[in-house]
Amino acid sequence: MVLQLHVWGPAFGLPSLDAECLAAIALLAQTLGRADYQLIQSSPSAVPTQHLPTLHNPSTSTWTSGYRAIASHIQTHPPPTSRDSSSSFSSSTSTPPPRKADAAAAADSTAYTAFLTAHAAPLLSLSLYVSSANYAAATRPAYSAVLPLPLPWTEPPAVRAAMARRAEHLGMSSLDTDAASASTAEEDGGSKRSAMVGMEGWVDVPGAAAVRIRRSSKMAGVAGSLSPEQKRRIRLEGLAGEVLDVLGEVAWEGQEVGARCLAWGYLALMLLPDVPRPWLREIMEGRYSGLCEFVREFKAEVFPAGGELPWVEGGETQSAIGVGARFARGVLAEVPVIAEQWTRWWAGRNRRQVMASKGPRTQGGGDVLLPLGAGLGLTAVGAGVFFYRGLPPFGEAVQVWRKPVVTLSSFGAAGAMFSGAFYGLD
Amino acid sequence: MASTPTAPSWRRMQVPRPLQQLFDRFPLRTYAANDLPERSHHLTSSDLPTLYVFSTEPDARLGLPSFNPACLKWQTLLRLAGLEFRILPSTNHASPTGSLPFLLPPRTSTNTTTTTTTAPPLPIPASNLLTYAARQHTSAAAPDLDPDLPARSQVYLSLITLSLRNAWLHALYLDPSNTALLQRLYIRPASSSRGVQATLLCQLRRAAAEQIANTSSSMVLSTAAASSADAVDEEAVYAAARDALGALASLLGESETGWFFGAEGPGVFDASLFSYTHLMMEFMDGGALSAAAEGGMGTGGLGRMLANWLDDVDLTA
Repeated sequence: MVLQLHVWGPAFGLPSLDAECLAAIALLAQTLGRADYQLIQSSPSAVPTQHLPTLHNPSTSTWTSGYRAIASHIQTHPPPTSRDSSSSFSSSTSTPPPRKADAAAAADSTAYTAFLTAHAAPLLSLSLYVSSANYAAATRPAYSAVLPLPLPWTEPPAVRAAMARRAEHLGMSSLDTDAASASTAEEDGGSKRSAMVGMEGWVDVPGAAAVRIRRSSKMAGVAGSLSPEQKRRIRLEGLAGEVLDVLGEVAWEGQEVGARCLAWGYLALMLLPDVPRPWLREIMEGRYSGLCEFVREFKAEVFPAGGELPWVEGGETQSAIGVGARFARGVLAEVPVIAEQWTRWWAGRNRRQVMASKGPRTQGGGDVLLPLGAGLGLTAVGAGVFFYRGLPPFGEAVQVWRKPVVTLSSFGAAGAMFSGAFYGLD
Repeated sequence: MASTPTAPSWRRMQVPRPLQQLFDRFPLRTYAANDLPERSHHLTSSDLPTLYVFSTEPDARLGLPSFNPACLKWQTLLRLAGLEFRILPSTNHASPTGSLPFLLPPRTSTNTTTTTTTAPPLPIPASNLLTYAARQHTSAAAPDLDPDLPARSQVYLSLITLSLRNAWLHALYLDPSNTALLQRLYIRPASSSRGVQATLLCQLRRAAAEQIANTSSSMVLSTAAASSADAVDEEAVYAAARDALGALASLLGESETGWFFGAEGPGVFDASLFSYTHLMMEFMDGGALSAAAEGGMGTGGLGRMLANWLDDVDLTA
């Protein structure tokens, strides 16, 4: 059977816009023959693992997600055709027991994979996702190009939020001017206001003049004319140096194919996209020419200009109903109160689905409870409607008026007084 | 009445000038902060430097290893640096940086530059502990404890800070079979109230899930923010830890001295690894994490190193 690799679609002149997807494509292109795998352009909401890249192996009917897991899956389950093919790459996939020298190389590969995941990914997300200029001009259009229509409204913001969380510990959230502008506008108005009160006292400055004053005060000074990336350039260079210094010392050509592909995935996305604030590319081209060379050579070797990748159309998740359901789920995940319960339930459901594909079937209690609860709720609503419809429009149908018997006691205190008075008379 | 368009409507009202002038004079006078009570000096500091870590009272009195990986790492490093210190159990709320460990220098400091003895000594956060230890250490036999590791060890260090840390977080906080342990270590010492304990448990679990999700996107089964154990791919977390331990064991096998990277003695890298592996072997008996640890450690001298390590570093003394 043919392996199906679900990845984000192409962008920036590369086969995918995500680093791990890029690495997975490169790995499959190097280790397998063209007939052994298919690439399916997808998004996390379309696959049960909720994460890309994801490998679906129809022969074992398993879903494997994440680059590391995919690489080990290919090593343990090589497709039958690649073993007897004369491809020079397949030898690396079918060596069963690691020898002494291989053990060290495998250890290095594992360590480089962890290092790239821990340090290169946050740096890349600073450049492509956190920086709002780059996100708006390069990344968001790339996502819009690969997603069917309503999905660009839900998925790229979710991806961006996740990427921003990954880079949070670097403390560079000020690159995100979208988030910053809201708070500065408030602050600006506030400080402006107090300054005016101090200066003019009772006199009020007309609106247009106030705007002009603010403009001029904002333009004054070098800091006002610099972009956030320029202001933070020194710290950004430090952050990039910490990661690239380590990566630049490695001879990537001699590394195992797994680590080499992943390194290329991250480095290619740092170097190749055409972004309006190219600080990361400038740093790489200025100080790490070896890495740039590696990126370009690897691309020319693995993805030659005329070479075609085995892209195929996705299945039912690409239909109008499938896309609509994915969009609805994306919207639901943004609703303030419900979102948390919803994501928890949905994650649990997906997890059971993935687990079921991997091993013995586990019971899915929640799936039975949900229709049951929904059914009970619907029944209750229906019964309520039926009861309401059964009620007469304005109270009871027949109104009976009984004439009250007039006695002295119905006159209240006065009546009591009179009845007492009559009683006293008797 | 023209006004700036951005100002909210309730701020359009001008403060009358006399009132404005009156309030401009406040605060009339700011008093200096009160000193801490005298007894607090005796309770929190002593003639030895005091390291505040996550620990229990009896363990701290004996100087036993802390049950928090970050604290244990620094505790080990200070021992390696040859610093005499005592430890006290504490919580994050007590720390000036918001996280443990931190060190309180002795009351009467040997340094001539410090101020009078009545002033409380300033706490030292974890990042400055090694420089403090180096300053205190006057003998020439100070071991090489440079926190700036070379490139190759930085690569391997990410195995510890990413894969092992995630596995430890998952095993202790998210694995329901370790709830009793989590309550004993972190929750019950914090509060005796049931409500507070339940809330704290929820908060810790959520924070751990978020930590795992933020460090590596491939361990997540959800597109939205991960806030529960369901969203974390348990199998991927433990598989990564297994691979990491296998890689570390093979790296240790290359070294001839028995310490990482062929060093003469244990260093920062060894201490970081010890802080996780010791706790895994101490607390996680028979769980998924210990299975992962055994799978990874069986191939090399890592287990042997751990067995000898406690004696070598003399942590239990």
